Amino acid sequence: MATVVDSSNPKSDFPIQYRELNYLNCSKGWKSWFFTLDHKRIGIMYLIGVTCAFFLGGLFAVLLRTELLSPARILLSADGYNQMFTLHGAIMTFLVIIPGVPAAIGNIILPVMLGAKDVAFPRMNLGSFYLWMFGAAFFLAALALGGLDTGWTFYTPYSITTSTAVITALLGVFILGFSSIFTGLNFIVTIHTMRPPGMTWFKMPLFLWALYATALIQILATPVLGITGLLLVVERAFHIGIFDPALGGDPVLFQHFFWFYSHPAVYVMILPAMGVVSEVIAVHSRKHIFGYRFIAYSSIAIAIFGFLVWGHHMFVSGQSKVVAVVFSAITFSVSIPSAIKVFNWLTTMYKGSIRFTTAMCYALAFLFIFSIGGLTGLFLATLATDIHLHDTYFVVAHFHYVMMGSSLVGLFAAVHHWWPKITGKMFSEFWGRIACLGVFLGFNLTFFPQFLLGTRGMPRRYYTYLPEFQNLHILSTCGAYLLGLSSALMAATLIYSVYRGKKAPANPWGGASLEWQCSSPPPANNFDHPPLAGDPYIMESVVYNEEIGGYVPVECQGAKKGSVTASGDKEA
Amino acid sequence: MNTAATTTTDDHADSHDHEHHDPRLAHHFDSHQQQFDTGKLGIWLFLVTEVLFFSGLFGFYAVYRSLHPEVFLYASQFLDTVLGAANTVVLLFSSLTMAWGVRCAQLGQTRGLMVCLVVTLACAAIFLGVKSFEYTEKAHHGLLWAGMYHSPEHHDAAAADGAAGAGDHAHDEAAAAGDHGDDELFEKTKHTLSYMTTVLWVVIVISGIALGLLFKNPNKKTLATVAGCVLVSAAGMVIGAYSSIGYHHFGHAEKPTDEEILMAETVPAEYAAQKEKVPEPKLAGTFFSVYFCMTGLHAIHIIGGMIAISWLIVRTAHGAFTTYYFGAVDFVGLYWHLVDLIWIYLFPLLYLIN
Repeated sequence: MATVVDSSNPKSDFPIQYRELNYLNCSKGWKSWFFTLDHKRIGIMYLIGVTCAFFLGGLFAVLLRTELLSPARILLSADGYNQMFTLHGAIMTFLVIIPGVPAAIGNIILPVMLGAKDVAFPRMNLGSFYLWMFGAAFFLAALALGGLDTGWTFYTPYSITTSTAVITALLGVFILGFSSIFTGLNFIVTIHTMRPPGMTWFKMPLFLWALYATALIQILATPVLGITGLLLVVERAFHIGIFDPALGGDPVLFQHFFWFYSHPAVYVMILPAMGVVSEVIAVHSRKHIFGYRFIAYSSIAIAIFGFLVWGHHMFVSGQSKVVAVVFSAITFSVSIPSAIKVFNWLTTMYKGSIRFTTAMCYALAFLFIFSIGGLTGLFLATLATDIHLHDTYFVVAHFHYVMMGSSLVGLFAAVHHWWPKITGKMFSEFWGRIACLGVFLGFNLTFFPQFLLGTRGMPRRYYTYLPEFQNLHILSTCGAYLLGLSSALMAATLIYSVYRGKKAPANPWGGASLEWQCSSPPPANNFDHPPLAGDPYIMESVVYNEEIGGYVPVECQGAKKGSVTASGDKEA
Repeated sequence: MNTAATTTTDDHADSHDHEHHDPRLAHHFDSHQQQFDTGKLGIWLFLVTEVLFFSGLFGFYAVYRSLHPEVFLYASQFLDTVLGAANTVVLLFSSLTMAWGVRCAQLGQTRGLMVCLVVTLACAAIFLGVKSFEYTEKAHHGLLWAGMYHSPEHHDAAAADGAAGAGDHAHDEAAAAGDHGDDELFEKTKHTLSYMTTVLWVVIVISGIALGLLFKNPNKKTLATVAGCVLVSAAGMVIGAYSSIGYHHFGHAEKPTDEEILMAETVPAEYAAQKEKVPEPKLAGTFFSVYFCMTGLHAIHIIGGMIAISWLIVRTAHGAFTTYYFGAVDFVGLYWHLVDLIWIYLFPLLYLIN
């Protein structure tokens, strides 16, 4: 086995591995980061920003849960509580989950997966990051200027009359919306025009399909949120009478506009996580993904259906019965593509050689949690039960199972799966798995009791509650603490690995898609020449090499010594 | 914005790729064709988001027009169709020159491209000049969005009985005769506009001097071109504002015939003099909310377009565009056509009701 390869010769057997220079060390100084056009560095900055926002939002959640330990006041006043849950929701939605997988992970991985040198519009990519920063600054300003107590949904007419910093927060949402639009636009164009030779649409990794579907939603739905937010700003500032019933406006129109964006946005949150799970399960089961086309098409189907279901948020807001029935029916039909995905993931694992790496553990947690989250959605899509469950903790638990339990766990899976590629370092699998177990248990302990609370009539967004709910609330709060600690442990494990971790091989998990063909971390240009792409799920095309500690292409595996079969496992 | 991202030259400090040295080709593209196709798809997607951005307002328009058709019938008569039509023609002409400019760029005719872009910029500025006259006039008639709306009926009544004491001296003076109330408001409109035109004249003089001084200096090409763009924009706005004022004068000089009064769409007083008076519906101000939101957002897009066109003019002055590299002109052109197209929808939806 050759251990030294002339890295300047791209025609060698080991294409671009053993590069000394990579995107992290090729230039130095703060300017090389803040003005970088490299998609990987921009992705890293997103990742850091999203992580900070995640811990800020998480801190708010922990404060909220602490307050709910007892019906009486513990930490927060009633107004403070309203502001806390509003900012928790707004930060987690707009600053964490929506940019989480697409903007942070997608930015780093998408061009490498495509064998491209960069995204189509690198400047716009950087601009989109600064818009994100700017939007986040507006959110912090809203926090400083008297908070926000409308809920993250900004429902009128309350959002017109409240004295809190609605305009500041809305401008933040507007700016973040444009950040999201530009990311989506960039991804669509990149996928369309910059695929390497040999990569047809149906040879794209499923993560790219998921990002493509996500980007479609981002550019089609987010402008509507932008104009809605802007109209609400104008309504508050000038009283134009669009949403304000006092001037003849229609407050329910705001709900329609808002959910026309925000329901598809739910799929902006979940679709990329689904794409991550498709990758992680196939790679860590060492098996070709099952039902490739079904998974690909179901991503697009979810994106399309996502636009047709917004009315299910207004079953009790006074919409006509016919409309409600139609929305209910379409909402049920969204479960079909989602179920297709779950069944295909399960079938992919069947007879695979599953390794319980940290990323795989998160993917399995995703499967479990997403199934619960998805199925409880059917309860809420049913008109009759929704009347009972509307605005209760059942809804809170449902969307946390989907948004937090699925989207964020998907993000965690992505971070662990691609961490060696991003940083060039291996993290501690032991502590990673412990953290994963903690996240899984803590999450379910937090939110499963909320299903019970909801069915028993605990309304959402309430500061206090009847004494008979206290036991379940205490359980839920304990879960939140465990979840918070486990997330911190996860972050600590990952950050520790950056300084003390073992150097990562180019392909530690045995993935067959293009990003595993360049070194870890990738060089600044990713690939000097567009690589030839084949089927991204033929796991037999790479075999384990003990000297390197990772997988190498079959054709590079000269001597048989030290190699195992493609499905074998000597690593864990 | 995305055009800027595609077309500006690559300055990667950390680029390892030395295969091509064409500064017009960004490092991550293989060919000019790929770079152009990428930008084209990008701008089309951006236009999709723009359409959806306006769709909220069109949706709002549809909802309110179906709920309150009488509001739209009543209030649209206060909009000046002639000015609206004139603006439509101006914008259509600017689309023509823009398209012509794209053709010039493709053929490598730099001078033709420059002329077309400057004419387009001037047309955009004229549009804004007319719009500012319309806005000012509406403001003085109290025809503002719902929260600031003052009923013209109420205004006429106040004007009719003189000492109605709204606390506004101008109104009291106008009380002498009902007809003169409108003239008074027109004078006030002119007065307000004169502030704008004074500022614009100052801008014209300063940018004119700057252009004159810098024109011959090859090192200050960018600055001279920017000054030229500012000059053209300010001059266009002044032309727009003065021609609207002139048109309005002209409209007042002749006594309107009975038929014209029946058709009256220009000024509220003429409308109020009509025999069969349509009662003012409640929520008439909502129409003006729609009007100001839609035309205002459109005007912001016009300003954005003017900035983009100025950027093209500067780059043209530097000779950036060639027969194989003209993407930016094409993309800004597409954007400009969309802005034009939105106005083509706004004009009948707002001005041509009934």
